[in-house]
Parts: sequence; structure tokens; C-alpha cells
Amino acid sequence: MTNIQTEVLVIGGGSTGLGVARDTAMRGFSTVLVDRGDLATGTTGRFHGLLHSGGRYVVKDPKAAEECIHENRILREIAADCIEDTGGLFVTTPVDDPMYADRFAEACRAVDVPVEEIPVAAALRREPRLNPRISRAFTVPDAHIDSWKTVWACARSAEAYGARILPYHEVLRLVVEDGAVKGAVALDHRGGEEVEIGADIVVNASGAWAGRIAAMAGCEVTVFPGKGIMVAMNHRLVNTVVNRCSMPSDGDIIVPARAVSIIGTTDVKVADPDEWEITREEVQKMLDAGENLVPGFRQARALRVWGGVRPLYQEKAEADTRDVTRAHALLNHRTRDGVERFLTITGGKFCTFRLMAEETVDALCGELGVERPCRTAEERLPDSEDKRYYWLGARVAQREETLHDDQLICECEFISRSDLEVALRRRGTVNLDDIRRSIRLGMGPCQGGFCIYRTAGILHEIQKTSSVVANRALLDFVQERWKGVQPVLYGDQLRQARFDEWIFQGILDVGHLPGDEVRSATVEATSS
Amino acid sequence: MSTDVVVIGAGLSGLTAAVRLAEEGRRTVLLAQGVGSTHLAPACIDVLGYAPDLVESPAKAVPALVAEHPEHPYARVAPETLAASVAWLRERADGLGYTGSLEENLLVPTAVGVPKPTAIVPEAMAAGDLRSGGRFVFVGLRALKNFYPAYLAENLSQVKLPSGATLEARAVRLSDPGREADVGPLDYARAFEDPVFRRAVTDELRLNLQPGEIVGFPAVLGLDEHEAVLKELRDALERPVFEVSSLPPSVPGIRLFRTLRAAFRRVGGRLVIGPTATGAKSGDGRVEALVVQSAAHRTTTYEAGSFVLATGGFAAGAILLDSFGEVRETVFGLPVSGVPPTDEPRFLPGYLDDHPMARAGLAVDGRLRPTDADGHPVYENLYAVGAMLHGAEPWREQSGNGLALATGFAAAAQILEEAS
Amino acid sequence: MQTMETMEWVRGSLDHCVKCTICETACPVSNVTPLFPGPKYVGPQAERFRTAEGSPDASLDYCSGCGICTTVCPQGVKIAEINAKARAVMKAEHGVPLRDRIIARSGLTGKIGTPVAPIANWFLANPVFRRLLERTLRIHRDAPVPRFAGRTFQSWARRHRPPAAPTKAVVYFHGCSTNYYEPRLGEMTVAVLEHNGFRVLVPRGQECCGLPLQSNGLLDDARRYVKKLAETLVPYARRGYDIVATSTSCGLMLKREAMEMLDLEDDEVLRTVSAHTYDICEFLVELHERDELRTDFNPLPITVPYHAPCQQAGHWMGKPALELFALIPELRVEESDADCCGIAGTYGLKAEKYDISMAVGAPLFRQVQEARSELAACDSETCRWQIAKATGVPSVHPIEVLYRSYGLGG
Repeated sequence: MTNIQTEVLVIGGGSTGLGVARDTAMRGFSTVLVDRGDLATGTTGRFHGLLHSGGRYVVKDPKAAEECIHENRILREIAADCIEDTGGLFVTTPVDDPMYADRFAEACRAVDVPVEEIPVAAALRREPRLNPRISRAFTVPDAHIDSWKTVWACARSAEAYGARILPYHEVLRLVVEDGAVKGAVALDHRGGEEVEIGADIVVNASGAWAGRIAAMAGCEVTVFPGKGIMVAMNHRLVNTVVNRCSMPSDGDIIVPARAVSIIGTTDVKVADPDEWEITREEVQKMLDAGENLVPGFRQARALRVWGGVRPLYQEKAEADTRDVTRAHALLNHRTRDGVERFLTITGGKFCTFRLMAEETVDALCGELGVERPCRTAEERLPDSEDKRYYWLGARVAQREETLHDDQLICECEFISRSDLEVALRRRGTVNLDDIRRSIRLGMGPCQGGFCIYRTAGILHEIQKTSSVVANRALLDFVQERWKGVQPVLYGDQLRQARFDEWIFQGILDVGHLPGDEVRSATVEATSS
Repeated sequence: MSTDVVVIGAGLSGLTAAVRLAEEGRRTVLLAQGVGSTHLAPACIDVLGYAPDLVESPAKAVPALVAEHPEHPYARVAPETLAASVAWLRERADGLGYTGSLEENLLVPTAVGVPKPTAIVPEAMAAGDLRSGGRFVFVGLRALKNFYPAYLAENLSQVKLPSGATLEARAVRLSDPGREADVGPLDYARAFEDPVFRRAVTDELRLNLQPGEIVGFPAVLGLDEHEAVLKELRDALERPVFEVSSLPPSVPGIRLFRTLRAAFRRVGGRLVIGPTATGAKSGDGRVEALVVQSAAHRTTTYEAGSFVLATGGFAAGAILLDSFGEVRETVFGLPVSGVPPTDEPRFLPGYLDDHPMARAGLAVDGRLRPTDADGHPVYENLYAVGAMLHGAEPWREQSGNGLALATGFAAAAQILEEAS
Repeated sequence: MQTMETMEWVRGSLDHCVKCTICETACPVSNVTPLFPGPKYVGPQAERFRTAEGSPDASLDYCSGCGICTTVCPQGVKIAEINAKARAVMKAEHGVPLRDRIIARSGLTGKIGTPVAPIANWFLANPVFRRLLERTLRIHRDAPVPRFAGRTFQSWARRHRPPAAPTKAVVYFHGCSTNYYEPRLGEMTVAVLEHNGFRVLVPRGQECCGLPLQSNGLLDDARRYVKKLAETLVPYARRGYDIVATSTSCGLMLKREAMEMLDLEDDEVLRTVSAHTYDICEFLVELHERDELRTDFNPLPITVPYHAPCQQAGHWMGKPALELFALIPELRVEESDADCCGIAGTYGLKAEKYDISMAVGAPLFRQVQEARSELAACDSETCRWQIAKATGVPSVHPIEVLYRSYGLGG
């Protein structure tokens, strides 16, 4: 067993965990972060990417709205490369309460969310596919934020300050001695061995899974996983974030996210954050909602559907300490449960991850009896130093420069062979899904129909893996892509799926690749 | 306009039906919204490769398949017709030198190194038959992103052949100097037609080959001058040379398309590429005319005695499943069989699972006419062929081109018979 | 107001793309030069990454706009149209060069050149002047430019006395090239139609259809021109007259390109004109289908290499000229397998694209030369000029072959 000693151990590689790790590292604590899988594979990597202006919450939850606009301004300052400044619209559609609009505008002003009413005609000029029967329209500073890029940028920043970021390290147990948490034992899934991490203090930032980690220290924390599904449409039906101007409800928002547009979302409590499915009814509900915002939505091509689970914190009794706002929950287990050196941060939303981290690390400093100021709001993240927003055409423009000198491997997402090789070498992985999240491999219309085979060939060549490993990488990735496509297989995406099947089964015959139990293995991969 | 037969769709099934009819003197119009399957698929004629275990003899396995799956399209094609269709193609495409037979499947390597069962292959693929083992070298071209010979070879060398023969495979990568990093299959095909390029290839290869090794190239060995390219490579390397198919576009398929297009032209067929067929005029249980969207803001009608629908399956958009879960055939609105009810799963979570909807398509009678729920032909003079038929899983069972050829040929035979 | 359906007609069609690569196999430009990454790349692929701010891919400019990609696409993706729109946005952003503004105004140059034809033709044939033109305007010195006829078809048509007692009438849309450069083609077309019993109406004031403007990215101008032309023709269409065109690409402009590429899908006037517009050969074949075409053709014992221009493929009508040729005794036709002659309207005139244009046309030129024939046939005027210039073989519209065979030349 390997032993690691650190001051701070962060459990959870989502936005909150990385936010905490970056913050502690910047404040000079030696820091280790672990996650059972890859970074940003829980809730963080599974949302629609809306950088809230706060408009969504101004009426229902002004405090949350205030936090959103506060953090919106900070993230624009420190994470510009992760953000596309699409702007946002709130529009009153025919099914919305017409009275809400005035309340909305007033509430925006009350919490300083910049809002401006524009004529409907101007809104339609800006977004010509919008329902022409909208009656009011307001602009707000919504934007799209790429959660994977943000998390990885935080990871790089934390590492630059000396933190160790350990994905694929699953916490098996917490080490609790004398009423204090002294660290954790984790299983390194890739190395196959257990690692003991001793720490002065442990932060449980495992979001919807926080109850499980807390239980390892004997603390009861109730986090309901709230499932939300999203459907990505093949191209941008809107170039601005479009919100229905009404109380938050299902399918009330379309976010232009990179080359696609994403409609979301739902909110259904589920029992287990790892065990849930996407139902036909939910998908239909999203399509109906899309039709209301953009007539003709059902004829457009749905690319993929996925779900994420929000951590919905519920306090067990009123007497408990709750050093929190309504939007997120910071639990000090010393005061709450009598377990020292153990904090849990859960609830909240992506947009406020930095703020959540700041509050957590402030509390952490308190527990360790030191005072060190937070600097995460001032220092820009890697690649965002020049504060230039991401631009949709960036990849194509980059490709233009290497048109004759590099191969285009994933044609839909404009990923060149050198992009892919860099990612494969940097990540040192044979899991193509990890590569996907790093560089968006296979995320376009053909969902890997062309690039998966090429990538397997390149993986085999440069990682010097055996062909059986490359075969597994290929089949697992085909399966992973199928998982998100299968519930929206209609129209053009079914066309694509049948065409891909022709490539994989008819031309390549991947169902008969050498390797152990090809068939059963891929079905297993679905449920993991 | 008016003609004897209108064929809709220019994939292998449509081309086969159209050429057959035209060469028997029928005035034939082949209408297609673009070109089709030929440009994408390897040009080998897979008759039946898996049922679901490896098929050694399609001639024996097809009747067994039909017995087990009476709805399979092969049940609508007599064994003699299947054989006749193959014989016909070999003759019609003699420049491509199709070899093989229905009696035994060959095993040819796919681009990932799976020995794929197939019955009839162009001459250029024949030397890649793996059944009796041998020593194979696969040649990589630097700028071709659709071919990874080392990966292919390593997989292939793990294959246990049914014959027990040994199989060795390795890869060589040519230095293939050139400025461009990303060269497509067609560009390479043209490069192979250039003697200078070819000489550079053979000069370098000769230094890298052992006696007795057979050489596999990606399927880019020339387009219009393919025969000559192949012969020259064999002569220069003094050994068998073959092609391995990979991702689209398929150069061998384009050769097949051009061959059949030329055959169609020779017998006076009229090929119209571009328009979308949008509907039909019918009466008395017959299709009277096909309605197509003209490039102008009007429709054009094609009257004919018989119509062959060869528009492809779901992959070609010929059969659509909409967002509400409703299925329709797009030209005639024909009923689609094999579709589970809306509230039942159509697809399963595992990619390689047996999906409930996998065999969906048009049900046809013994004369290949689409039928209604009672099994009666919807129209007396409308035939359906190829990938749109109910009952097959053409890619998984490796029967795509075989079904296309056999049903296209059989539909033509029905029409010819009817008129005589 | 536009509905999503018409607005998405072009852009939304990218949803049908399954990346199958068929368009790439057919693109005449990407098949000869790596400078153009191909129709799939600049079309449905890059389009997903474009916003109103324009296109990040400068290589888009190498698309010749021939339209073959759309024609061969089995999935119904409007590839060429997506590219044309993106190109126009790009040009609007970077500014359209003077050269493109000049060559895009064929009507205007025709008007200016006609009265001074001998001088203009002398200059255009003068190597020194052409070198100067190449240096200043970047119009390639060897690119084919037509000769001014020095008279217009319109003036002939006004003087022309139709034969007595025609039973039916048809409208002739002659286009700029017939008017200023090839009035003889117009005269032959009238003769062939009159021979078949038609009175040929030649509406006055037929100006440019806007196609060259459109293909050079001047969309607003193109829109203005095509609407004006449509207004000229629509009274006839409303009365039920068919309109025939001898210019393949201008006919296609009226049929669908203007509506698709200039966001005029819902324009009633254009729709009405479109519904009545026919390519001349298409029109004659349909006559023949109804047994209304006179078949008193005299034997024409020659061999004619025939090239169907790529713009014709966009008419989705097959190759009607071949069916007409089949009616002519002793005529031997060698159908070209080549996809494109390379000129693509004004593409091949441009100095930076001339070599590509010639490489695209090379297989066709070879075929034409190998036929050792006294003439070649092709429906589109710019293609004829290109073929004639590249091969030295005079190239004619199929209507001229019919004209000769009917013995109408006297």
C-alpha cells in the first residue's frame, strides 16, 4: 500500500471539489484530491452548461440569484476561456403567465441582475427560430460555460500550486481516530492497489454522493439525488440562452453549448445517484417544451440525451448547525456530529462552485486555527489569462491553420491527429470516454461512427497497447456513445445510428473482434 | 413523362434491377436522390455470413435461415434466382473479376482484422482469402487515416481459423513522401494510377518483403485504371496483392457503381440523379405514376407500367421514425413491419444486443410486392428491393449486398415475366 | 414572415448529414487540389460552428459553387447552398474585390461592350492587355472570355417576324450571354421552337438573373436583380405560358437557386415563375413525350462529344439533350464521364483559381480532344467557352445540333 501524507484531502472531483482543492492549494495547504472516476464525471459534467445570470432564480430564490450574478461576474473575470458570451433572453411564451414578466423585471433589479426589456421584434431578429408568438422579451447576462474545461483548468491551477489530483481513486473508508478524521484509504482503479492518504483535515465534496462518504465517518447526511435530463440538438437552434419567463419548470431553457443546443431540464428525486434511467415520457416532455420555444423543434435532429443528479441537501433536524445559505450546505461535522476535522460541502450549483469553495476553505482555516485569505476570485485560470471569451469558430479556425499538415480524425468536432495524440499522451489512458471529455472526441453528429475506429488505430500505435486493449477501448466507446443516443433514436439520429451500424458491423465486423467475451463485456459496460 | 419501368434508388439493388430491365429492352428510368450504397460499402457480395454463427456455405445456410425466419427476404428469392443474380453480376462486371461461389464463403480481413465471411469478391480482394492461412503483410500509407495496418495485423494474427491453418500477419508503413498530411482514399486511388508513385511504392516495398508473403493494401488501388494498377503491382512485387476495405468512401464500390452505370447507359437506360420522389398517383390497385419534386417549383410525374422501390432502409432515410414514434415509408406511405408498439422498447441498452426493431422494414409477397397487414400486395405493379425489406439484419448477418443483388435481380425477373 | 421550415430549409438540412463522404467523392475541386478541404468539411461540418459573426474557414472560398455535392447527396443535405450562403457572409465581411464586382455584372459589361465590340474584343484578345488585366484585376490572362457580338439578341427579336399562324406560344428567357455574346443561339432557339409550331415571346427588359452576383457573394444585389427579372416574366407565367431557358445556370437560378440561396423561398412571384420555367432541352423532351416534337431530322453524320454541365445536374432532369440527340439519324454522341469543365461560372476566370479550374477540366478536355470531332456540345455557355478555349474545338449548345439537323440554317 502506498502512503501519502497531506494537510488537506478533498474527496470528489467535480466543480466543488476542484474549487476547494484550488483554493486550499492557493492558500498554501498541501492538498490531495481523489475521485472514484475521472474528473467532472458526476453532476458537474452532466449539466447544460448555463452560466446563470441569476435571472432564473430572481423571483423564487433571490438569495440564490444574488449569488449567481456575483459569481457570474467573477467567472467571466477568471475563466473567460471556458465561457462563450452568448447572452441570455427571458421570453414570455404563449403558455406562460403574462403577469410574471413584470415581477421578473422588478426582481432582477432588486438583486442587481442586469436586465433590459427589448421589443419582441428585436428578440425575433436576434433569434429568428424562436416562437413568433412570444409576448415579452428581456436580455440578461447568461452565458455558456464549459464545465469540463473549467474543472480541468482548476485542476491545472491547483497542481501548479502543488496539489495532487488523483482521478480513479475511490475512497473505500475514512480513517477515524479519537473522534477525528485522519485521512482515507482509496483504491487506485488503474494501478489496482490501495493508497492510504493521511490528512490533517478532510473535505467531503462528493455532491450527490456526500451521504455515502459522510457515513464512513459515522455521520448521517441526507442528500437526495435530483435527476435532471437534457437533450442535445445537433446544431444551434438558438445562439443566445433562451429561458421561459416564468417560474422554474421542466424544459424551460435552451442553451447554445459549443456546436449544439441543449434543452433542459427535469427534476425528479431518485433513490440512488448511480441507479436511474431516462424514460420515454421525460424525453417526450423535453421535445414538447422545445416545440413551445422553437416551433419545428421535433423535426430538428436530437443528438443525444443524458441525465445528471443534483445534490439536494435535506437537514435531518432543525437543531442541527447549518452554516449555510439556502443554495448550498456546508456542514461542520465537529459542531454537527462531534467528528473533528471533517467538513461536508454539498448542494448548490455549478455557477457558485467557487463561492462554495471559498466558504468551505474559510471554515477549514477556522478548524485548523489559521487565517489565510482567499484569492480565487482574483487569479485567472490557466488559458484564461488574457480574459478572452471562447469563440465557437475557434476550432475550425485552428484547423484552417494546419489544413495541410495534420489529419482530421474526428471530423464533426474538428479534432486533429495531433490534438488526439496530445490528449492520449497527457491522459495516459486507454479509456476513450476520458479522451472525449478532454477534447470532445466523438461528440458530434456521427457519434464516433468515423473517429472511433481511427482513434483505436492511433491508440494502438502510440500507446503501444495490445490490439485486445484497443479492441476493448473501441467497443466500450461504441457502447458509451450508444447509451446516450439510444433513447432519442428517431429521425436523423436513427438514420445516423443505422449508418454507423453499417460501418461497425457491416464493414468492420467489430462484433467478432478477438478478445474475451466481446458481447457480454459491452453490455456490462452500460450499467457501470 | 411515360416509360416502361421506373426504378427509384441507385444503390446496388436499384442499379441491378434497372440494368436488368433495360438490357431486356424495357425503357427504364432510374431516379435517385443522390447516389447510394455503392459508394460506401465494400464491393464484395456478402450473401450470408452469420446465422448467427459463422456460415461456411451460403448455399446450405440460406435455406436453413429461411426455414427459421420465413419472413426473411431470402424467402422471397428462389435459390436459382440468387445463383443467377450472382452469375449475372460476374458477367456484367467482368472488368472487376468477381470470384467466389455460393458454395463456400471466403474469409477476408476487415480493417480491424476480423476475418469476415463473404461469398463473392472482386478479384482485387480474392488474394486476401484467409481460409488456408498464410503470411500476410499489410501496407500502411502515411496520410491515409482510414487504415491502421499494425492494429489490423495484430488482431488478425490472433485469429483461430476454422481450418486450423496458421496465419501470420504483420504491417509495414511506407514512407510515402508527400506534403499533405490528410489524403483521402480517392486521392490515393488516383495516385496509384500514376506510374511514378506506383514505382516508389513497389521499390520501397520490395526491400521489406519476405519470400512467400502476400501483400494487403488499403482499397485504393486505382479507380478507372484499377485493372492495370493491380496487375502492375502484382508483377512488380512478384506475389499476390489484394485490397482491404475500410471506412467510407469505398473505392471498390465506386468502381462497381461506374461499371453498372456504364452498363445501364449502354443499353439505353435513363439515369436521373437529384430529384426526391414525394408520392404517387394510383388507381385500381396500381401505381400509375410517380410524383417527384422537380428542381422548379412544381412536381414532375413519371408514368410507367411497373415501379421498383429501391430507396434503402432507415440509414438512407427511406423509412422514417418520427419523434412521436410513428414509422413511415417516405414515397408511397407503405406499411412498415417489425416495429414494436410505441410503448415497448425498440432498442436495447447494449449496442450489440438483439434490438427489437432491427428487422423492421417492408413486408413483401412472393413476387417482392409490398403487402398490407393481410398479406395482400398494396399495389399490383410496385416492387420493393434491397435494404428496406423486413426480416433481415443485413449488416449483422453480413447479407447486405447479397440481398440487394438478389432482390433487385428477382424484381426485374418478376417484371419481365409479367410482361411476357 | 419566414417560418422555421423555410428558414431551416438550407441550414437545417445539415441535420440529415450522416457524414457518409459521398459528396467528397464527387467534388471536382477537392479532387484536384488540397486547398479546398471538400464540401462536407465546409458544408454541414463547419456550418455547426458558424454564427452570425461569420465563418472561421477561409478555405471555403475555394468552393466553385458547381452544386454537384447537393445533387449526389443521398440524404438531402443542401451542401452547396449552405456553402454559398456562408461564402456570401464571408465575402461581405472581408469585402468583395473589385474584380468580382465586375465579372459579376455580365449584363452591365454586355451593355457597355456591345456598342464598342470590335475595340473591346481586340483588347480582350490582346495578350498585353490580358497580362495587364491579370496584374490589376487578377483575371487570369488565359481564362476564357466571350467575344461581344456587337449586336443584341433583343434587337433581332424585335425585328423578327414570326411565321404565320402558330398554334401555341412559349416565352424565351435568353439571359445575358445570348443577348450580348451569342445572339445566334437565341435565333436558332427561336427557329427550332417556331419549327415546332410555337410563337416565341421574348419579353423586353430581361436583365441579369443575379446568379453571378450571388456566386460572388453580392447577395443583396443578386436579390434585387432576380426579383426584377421575375417581375418581367411573371405576367406570362400567370397567364400560363411556359418559359424556356437556354442558359443552364440562369434557368436553374429561376427554378430554385434564387429561392434557396437568397432566402426567397416564400416569394410568390419567384415561385410562380419557377413553376413555369424549363430548360430548353427538358422542354423539347417533354414535347416529344407528348408526341408533339417534330422529328423531321436530317441525318447528321458526325461525332459529337457531349458534356452535361454540372449546373444541369442541379436541374434533376437527367440529360435531356442525349434523348434529343438520339432522335437524329447518324449522329454519334460521346457522352462525357467528366463531372465538370472547371469554369463554374466565373470561378475559372480568377487568377488564383485558374490552375484549379484547368485541373478540374483536364479529363473533359482530354475526352473532347480524343474525339477528334469538328465540334463539341454543352448546354452551358461558360462551359462552352472554357471547352473551346482549352481544346480549340468549337463548342455549341445542343439546340444548334438540332437546328442543323432540322435543316433550319437554309
